[in-house]
This record gives sequence, C-alpha cells and structure tokens, in this order.
Amino acid sequence: MLEAVGLNAGYGDAPVLWDVNLTVREGELVAVVGPNGAGKTTLVNAVARLLPIRGGQLVFGGRDATRLTAQEMSALGVAIIPEGRRLFVHMTVEENLELGCYRREIRRARSQGLERVYAIFPILAERRRQIAGTMSGGQQQMIAIGRALMAQPKLLLVDEPSLGLAPLVVEQVFDVLRDIHGAGVSMLLIEQNVSKALEVAQRAYVLENGRIAAEGRPASLLALPALRAAYLGLDAEPV
Amino acid sequence: MPSATLLGQSVLSGVLVGGLYALMGVGLSLSWAFLRLINLAHLALVFLAAYLTYALAEGAHMSPFLAMLLLVPPFFVIGVALQWLFARFKVDEFGSVLATFGLMVIVESVIQGIWTADFRRLETPLSTASWRVGPIFVPVSESIMFIVAVALLVAIWAWLRFTYVGKAMRASAENPDIAAAFGVNHARLALLMAGVAASSACIAGGFIALIATLAPSQIYAWVGVIFATVIMGGLGNPLGILAAGLLIGVSEAVTMALTAPSWAPLVSFTLLILILILRPGRA
Amino acid sequence: MNARAIRPAFYVGAGILLAGLPLAQPPAFFESFLYLVFFWIALATSWAILSGFSGYFSFGHGAFFGAGMYTLANLTTNLDLPFGWSLLASGVAAALLGLGVGAVVFRVRRLRGELFALLTLAVTFVLATIVLNTPLDGGPGVFMSASVLPRIYESPSGTIYLFGLGIAALSLATARIVQYTRLGRGLFAISDDEDVAEVLGVPTFGYKLAAVGLAGFLAGVAGGIHAVFVSYVTVAETFSITVPLFVVLMSVLGGARHWFGPAIGATLVTALTYAFVGGEWAVFGRGLIGVTLVAAVLFLPHGIMGLVASRRKRPPPPAIPAEPPAPSQAAHAPSHKPLLVCQDVRLSFQGVKALAGVSLDVRAGEILGLVGPNGSGKSTLINVISGYYRRQSGRILLEGQDLSRRPGHRIARIGVGRTYQIPRPFRRLNVLENVALYATFGAAGLERAAAERAALYWLGFVGLGDRAHALPLELNLHQRKFLELARALASGARLILLDEILAGLTPAEIDNAIALIRRIQAAGATIVFVEHNMRAVVALADRVVVLNHGEVIASGLPKDVMADPAVVAAYLGKSHA
Repeated sequence: MLEAVGLNAGYGDAPVLWDVNLTVREGELVAVVGPNGAGKTTLVNAVARLLPIRGGQLVFGGRDATRLTAQEMSALGVAIIPEGRRLFVHMTVEENLELGCYRREIRRARSQGLERVYAIFPILAERRRQIAGTMSGGQQQMIAIGRALMAQPKLLLVDEPSLGLAPLVVEQVFDVLRDIHGAGVSMLLIEQNVSKALEVAQRAYVLENGRIAAEGRPASLLALPALRAAYLGLDAEPV
Repeated sequence: MPSATLLGQSVLSGVLVGGLYALMGVGLSLSWAFLRLINLAHLALVFLAAYLTYALAEGAHMSPFLAMLLLVPPFFVIGVALQWLFARFKVDEFGSVLATFGLMVIVESVIQGIWTADFRRLETPLSTASWRVGPIFVPVSESIMFIVAVALLVAIWAWLRFTYVGKAMRASAENPDIAAAFGVNHARLALLMAGVAASSACIAGGFIALIATLAPSQIYAWVGVIFATVIMGGLGNPLGILAAGLLIGVSEAVTMALTAPSWAPLVSFTLLILILILRPGRA
Repeated sequence: MNARAIRPAFYVGAGILLAGLPLAQPPAFFESFLYLVFFWIALATSWAILSGFSGYFSFGHGAFFGAGMYTLANLTTNLDLPFGWSLLASGVAAALLGLGVGAVVFRVRRLRGELFALLTLAVTFVLATIVLNTPLDGGPGVFMSASVLPRIYESPSGTIYLFGLGIAALSLATARIVQYTRLGRGLFAISDDEDVAEVLGVPTFGYKLAAVGLAGFLAGVAGGIHAVFVSYVTVAETFSITVPLFVVLMSVLGGARHWFGPAIGATLVTALTYAFVGGEWAVFGRGLIGVTLVAAVLFLPHGIMGLVASRRKRPPPPAIPAEPPAPSQAAHAPSHKPLLVCQDVRLSFQGVKALAGVSLDVRAGEILGLVGPNGSGKSTLINVISGYYRRQSGRILLEGQDLSRRPGHRIARIGVGRTYQIPRPFRRLNVLENVALYATFGAAGLERAAAERAALYWLGFVGLGDRAHALPLELNLHQRKFLELARALASGARLILLDEILAGLTPAEIDNAIALIRRIQAAGATIVFVEHNMRAVVALADRVVVLNHGEVIASGLPKDVMADPAVVAAYLGKSHA
C-alpha cells in the first residue's frame, strides 16, 4: 500500500533521512522505532507530504506520491496523528473532530463519525464544547486520534502517541490503536517506547541516524544487538 | 457635572460611533488573524468606498444604500487581488505594514487627485433626521449604520463559528500544516477572507459617506482608534471587536462630555498602551 | 596616503565647504532645500540607530521630534531662554521620553515587531493629545520668531541651514560610531535573535535603552531646529503621521542597517517631494512616495545600501592565526573539584514540572553527558544554567558564584557558553562576525581586532576558516553546528554546554565532531553535553547523568549507568528492565 524507495528528506537544507526503504502492506501495522533524533518524525512528515522529499520515491496505493501536496495525500486516504498531537488548541473538541472530515466527499459522514469517536472516547462526548487546549494530555491524544478517524483513513500515520502520557493512558491509547487496526486500517506507527510498539506491531524497522538499521518481526528485533545499541550505546563497535 | 440628559446623549453617541469603529476594524482584524497581514490599506479602502458612494449618490442621484451594495463586488475583487499580490511576493507581517502604508498613501493621493482636499458632505434627507426618545435625540442614519454593523459582525462571527469554511479558516490560522493534512487549502481560503475583509471596508465606507464629512486626510485620523479597537477586541474575533468598539466609543464620548472634545483620543490610546503592556500572551 | 587616512580628511573638508556655503549668498530657496535634506537626514538616521540597527521598528519618531519642537518653542518663546541651552534641552527632553517608554516596553518580551511599532504610534498620539490640551500648546499653536536664533550668518535662513548641517553631521557621526563599536554589534545581534544575544553576553536591555536614548536626543534636537524653520508650531502638523511615514520610507529605501543608508533615502525622497512642490503636482508626489514604498518592500527589502553590500566582492578568506589568542587555560585532567554545582533546581511551566529538584556537580575539566528520554528536562536545564529561563528555586553555583539570580548576559560574562540544538546563527552577520561577537561579549571580553583574531583561530580550529566571509545560510547543517561550536569556544567560557550537537549529522560527521570535542577538552574546557546518540555518549563522556521526568535517576561512569535497570526501563519501557 505504501512504499518508500531510497527516500531522502529533511528540514530546510538539513538532511535528516538517507536512503530509507520501507513498506506498509494493506492491513498491516508497521512500527518504526529508534532513538530521539533518528529521523522518525521526519519520516512521518515526509510521507504525509508536509516536508519536501529530496530524493527517492514514495508510492501510495500504486501511484507515485512523491510530488503530491499534503492536501492531495489526505484526499487519497492518508491521515496523521502527529507528534505532540498538534490540535487546533483554541477550538472546541467537536470542532477539532469536524476538521477531520473537512474534505467535501466525507462531510456527510460527519454524524456517523462523531458517534463512532464518542463511542470509543465517551469523555470527549461529555466535553464536546470544551476548548481543546484546556484538556489534559491524555484527552488531547484522544482528540488527535478521533480527528484522524473522522478522515476515514486507509493509512494512518501515528507519531509518538505515548509521548508525555501517564502509563495507564498509554495502555488505553494502544488498545484503541489496536482496535482501529483490527477494523482494517493500515498503520505506520512511530514510537520511542520500544516495548509498547513491538507489542502491537506485525513488522518493525529500527531507524538510527536517519538510516534503517534493522528490519523484521518484533520478537527477532528485540533480541537484536543493533536495537540495544541504538538505544543504549552498548554492545556495539566503537563509533 | 453635565446633566443626565447630556450624559445619556453622550453614551448613545458613544455606542453608535463604537459600532462604526467595530465595522471599520473588523476587516483589519480578520486579515491580521487569518492572513497574518497588518493591512493599513484597509482604512484607505474604507475611504475610497466612502468617496465612491458619495460620487454615486451625489453625482448619479443614486440611493446611497444601493450605491454601497453595488460597490461590494468590485471591492471583493480588490481584496482578492491584493491578497494574491502579497502571497505572490511572500510579504511577511512586518513588510505588510510598510507596503500597505504605501498603498494607503497612494489611495489618499488618488482620492485627493479626483475629489481635491476640500471637505465633502453628502446631503440626504436622512442625514439630519432623528427620532426623539424622551429627552434624547436618536439620529436615523447612525442608527441604521449601527444595526447593519451589528448584523454584519454577528454574521461574520457565525460564519467563522458554524460553517466548515469558517472552522477551516480558524484551524488553518492556528496550524496550517496539519490543517492541510486534513484537506484544507489555505491559499484559497485566504483569497476568500481577503475579499470578505475588503467588502466590509466597502460597507463601512458607505456609512461614513452617509454620516460624516469626508476629507482625504481623514484616513490617517482613524488609524489609532481603529487599531486600539482591533487589538482590544482580540484578533479575528468579531464579537470582541464589537465590545471593544462600544467600550472605546462610550468612554470617549463620556470623556468629551466631562472635559473637552480634544481630550477624547487620550482615552483610546491610553487603553491601547495599557492593553499592549499588561495583556498576557500574544495579541 | 592610504584610504583610511584620506576618509576623515574628506569628511571634514566636505563639512567645512558646506558650512561656508551661506557666505556665497546662494538663493534662499536653495538654502531651505538643503536645510530640508539635512533635517530629514538627521531624522532618518536617528531613527535607524534605534529601529534599523536593533530591528525595533518605531512609528513613534514623531513623538521624539515633537517633544523637541515643543520644548524649544516653549523655552525660547515663553521663558526667553537662550537658543543653545533650549536646543540642548529639546534633545534631552526627547531622550528622556525615549528612555521612559523604553524602560517600560523593553521589559516585555512580547512587545517586539509590529506590536512595538503600534505602541510607539499610540505614544505619539497620547503625547499629541496632552500637548494640545495643556499650556504647552493650548490649541492655537505656538508662533516662533527667528530672532531667537544666534546671529552666525547675516540671514536667519543661513543660520538655520548651518544648524541643520550640524545636526545631520552629528547624527551621521553618531550612527557611524555606533555601527562600528560594541553597541552597534550588540544591536545588530539583537535584531537577528535577541534571546541568543542576551545569553551570549549582550546586555540587551541596556543596549536598547542606549539606542532609544540616542535616537530620541538626535530627533529632539532636529525638532528644536525645525521649530524655528517652520516658525509656527501646531499639534496637527507636528504629530501627523507624515513624520514616521517619511522616516521609515527613507530608511527602508536607503537601507536601515547601514549608517549611511538613511541619508541616501532622505536625499532621494526630499528631492522627489521638492520637485513636485505646489498645486496638483503635490498630490502626484505623495502618490509617488506611496508607490516607492510599496516597490521598496517588494523588490528592495534591504534598501540601496543592502543592494550595494550584496554586490560587493568578498575578500579572500583571511589567514588563520596559529596560536590561540588568549593564553589558554592550563590543561588539566578531570579533577574532583566541582566547577558547576546545581542544588535542588526546580522549574515548572503552568503547573507541569520540567525540573523537579535537580542536583548535580560538573567537575572541572570533565566531559559530562546529560541524557534522558524526550521531555525529561535536559534542554530546560541547559536553558536555566545559561540564564534563558529563571529557576523557581534552588541554586546554581559556578566556582562558588551564584548564577541563578543573574540575567543571561552576566552569566555569559562569568564564563558559561552554549550551543543550540537547532543552530541559531545571526543570519545577517557573516560567519566571522558571528564568532567575533562571542569573543567580544563573552567571558573573553576582547576588543575588536583581538576578537577577530580569536574568531579566526577558532574557525580554523573547527575547520571553517575558509568560510569566514560566508553568511550562515550558505553553510550546511554540519557546518552550522560547527559554527555553533566555534562561537561557544570563542566566548572564552570555562563551562561549555552543548545541546545535541550531533543530532542530524552523518556517521562520518559524528566521528569528526567527537574528535573535535576531545580536542576542546584537551585545551582545558569543561563540557556538558546533551545527546541522544548513545554511542557518542559512551565514547565521549567521563561521567553520565540521566534525567527522567525532571529528576536525576542515575549518574556515574557511562557503562555502569547504561546497565542500570532504572535507565533501561526509562528508555526501553518497563518490561525489559
């Protein structure tokens, strides 16, 4: 469904990703783990077309997406749960959700979508008129998830959903993500919390210093010295 | 101490002029909040519209209200064209102050070139008419202006608050990247918003022609008080602007009644300075 | 004679010639035209000292000018004070006004850019209202008589001309001196990135006050002279929007970041308006000024002087001095004497604890790695030590001196230097100027020539010697990170804080950087570095401190700390502990 071939990307003129090859198949949940500063968020933003791609190719649903805009990407069915949530903090909970279904084609599914999101997160229904920026971190993450769901995505890009959340909330968030995946949405999950990510993923990549350092099934990756090295700097050749 | 009647009359005229401040300021506020442009030329557009209304009403004997309405579409186009130009040259917030300052001077000299620097006053049956409510006189044309202003501000508020386009506009102002990732086309919305702002300038100008004496240099006289209204009201918030306009209008009118008319500007500008210094967060 | 010696002689010669002009008895309109040119040169140049150099665009120049005008008019006409003293008082009154406004406004971090511009405009209108309603004016305006002037030349117009020339020359000289001294360097830094400027050692508040004081004084004196020229002072004319408009236009057109730019703009615009004086043409002239302003913003954003500067050919890269400029600190092995001590440092943002009581020591000469997951408070700690944030409680001592209550620029002078995770060079200063700024304002405190030598040395040290004249935006990320490093080194800091200096670099560049950091340590510096690249941490650090949720959860030798179950849990999640 999504394929990156030799992808290069970065901010301004500063390269962050080098030669990244990555695939997400239809219905698959793929995790990308790696230490801070490895380029995970850059990868998500490049796929969402929020950042220019400087080299390589991005293919989505069989067509070349390397030169598409973020808007066109969303029309193809890619939605994002961005790092740090990036809600419209001065707007209400419900308005944030409604922006998820801003695209003309899906506007009529508004009430169904809201019903679905409110069923998953009842607290959001109670607080629908509250300003998003005044909610707790966990509730804000729920809004971000809900907003992406409203877009009826085929592929969901999830960037660091556990960031800054209490352990109990992290559990809840991952349960929901697992359910969404269970309902047939493909997912690219970026996560710093390795154990959580590898628990839910079917396949995973380890990103280190802007390059893919390893790829495989979660169980095999956890045993990998490369992973421990990327995180803790141990058991590796001198730099 | 002035009499209660005089005070009442002052408060009323303050309320009415406050509505005018809000009507003139709303476009400025919208483009500042949603387009990140501080459009000083907005006030020049207001006066251009005022002179055109004057010309159509005085020269072509048209009803000033019809003239106003006829002018809205061309002003919408002017707004769109200016926004296109600013976006094309990637003018930033600060550059926009300078560039629109220049535009303001251009419009002023065009006005002066066509209509000269003389004072102009549109004489219609409405301009001197007033209703009497108890001891207080209620001027008719000012009242119509006030009603239109309130209706327009509420309509813009509702547009921003309840429609998809309005919500997308607010979302895009806050976080253009993420809004784009959910399908919002900021560039197109910006053109629309610029057109709406310019249209509001046209309406405001039409009423100025109806209730005030026109002179090209008047353009600058309004800058301070309109900015005070816009900043006090909160950017991009039409109801806030209405409240700020009323507050400034009434406090000015009461100051005038209690002291001398020439002290009036002190109130609005002191308020503006205090708000800038004391208000937490971004204006 | 070389060019350096000819230049001052040229300026003085031109000044004497111009000053003697009235002796030739030129036609009166010629004198008054030249006077107007001088008058606008003085106003535009004084505006540029504040707004062009520091980036604080003011629309309130009319307030300074008006304060000067009314001071002179009242002192000479109502109090019969002599002209010279009244003129001085005009300048002082306007300077005091500027200092008063600045003392309030410059304390508010938020009031930059367009909000500052609006605020100064509002101050102008408040002042106008007060003048109008008090005996300073009272409504009808103040008539001036030319008899208040001292008789230097036969005709009053000749004398006014001479005063105009004087204030223009004084403004230009002031602007030139400011531009090439510490004050100017500091103001340029403020205009590019005020927060970085403060933390590197520029006393930003004091410098901004100095700039507004100078600008006010010069504009006030110009206003005082102009009061005699117009001979009838009214509120409507004095405080009209034209003064700030013209001043901004002239400076932007000529180039507000160069002492001579506003003078070019002032001459052009004055000539332009003079050409269209009278009747229908005046309207056309104003319109043309509007067009010029729009065109200048769209096509010439840096003004004529900016265009000249960008066309000028760059000199070849200078030679790199072989020796470090200042006697380098005695190199010593990591000792146990603490250089920096943090005791129970706490800071919360809106109730969220960023630092929940951090205590740690940094020993002289060591490399301390500061690590922890996202949001653990590492960068916040760097920001607190360097003075960008102020801690809410706890103490921070550098060799026994308490840093925690001092402003950022004092901390830099005491000896703390830092780099930024995302490099924050001053984008309109070249690489050499960027580094020299640190040598000037940091702990090294070098004079101009010495600062440049030091900057070159450290640029050579990090391998950027051949890019000395490049602008920061022409460098790639790797080079910009090394520019950050050179800046911190040139500051002469005893303690250098490196914030994710390796992030975004390729493996080969990382190796290069690690070798460089080792050389820095060998030269005697103490280094704290925040880093996510754990291989680099293990390779470089003498000791490691781990933060999590704003608290120190472990510290010690890298190998030991990385095997600590609490650390593994913080990084990999509980189940792998």
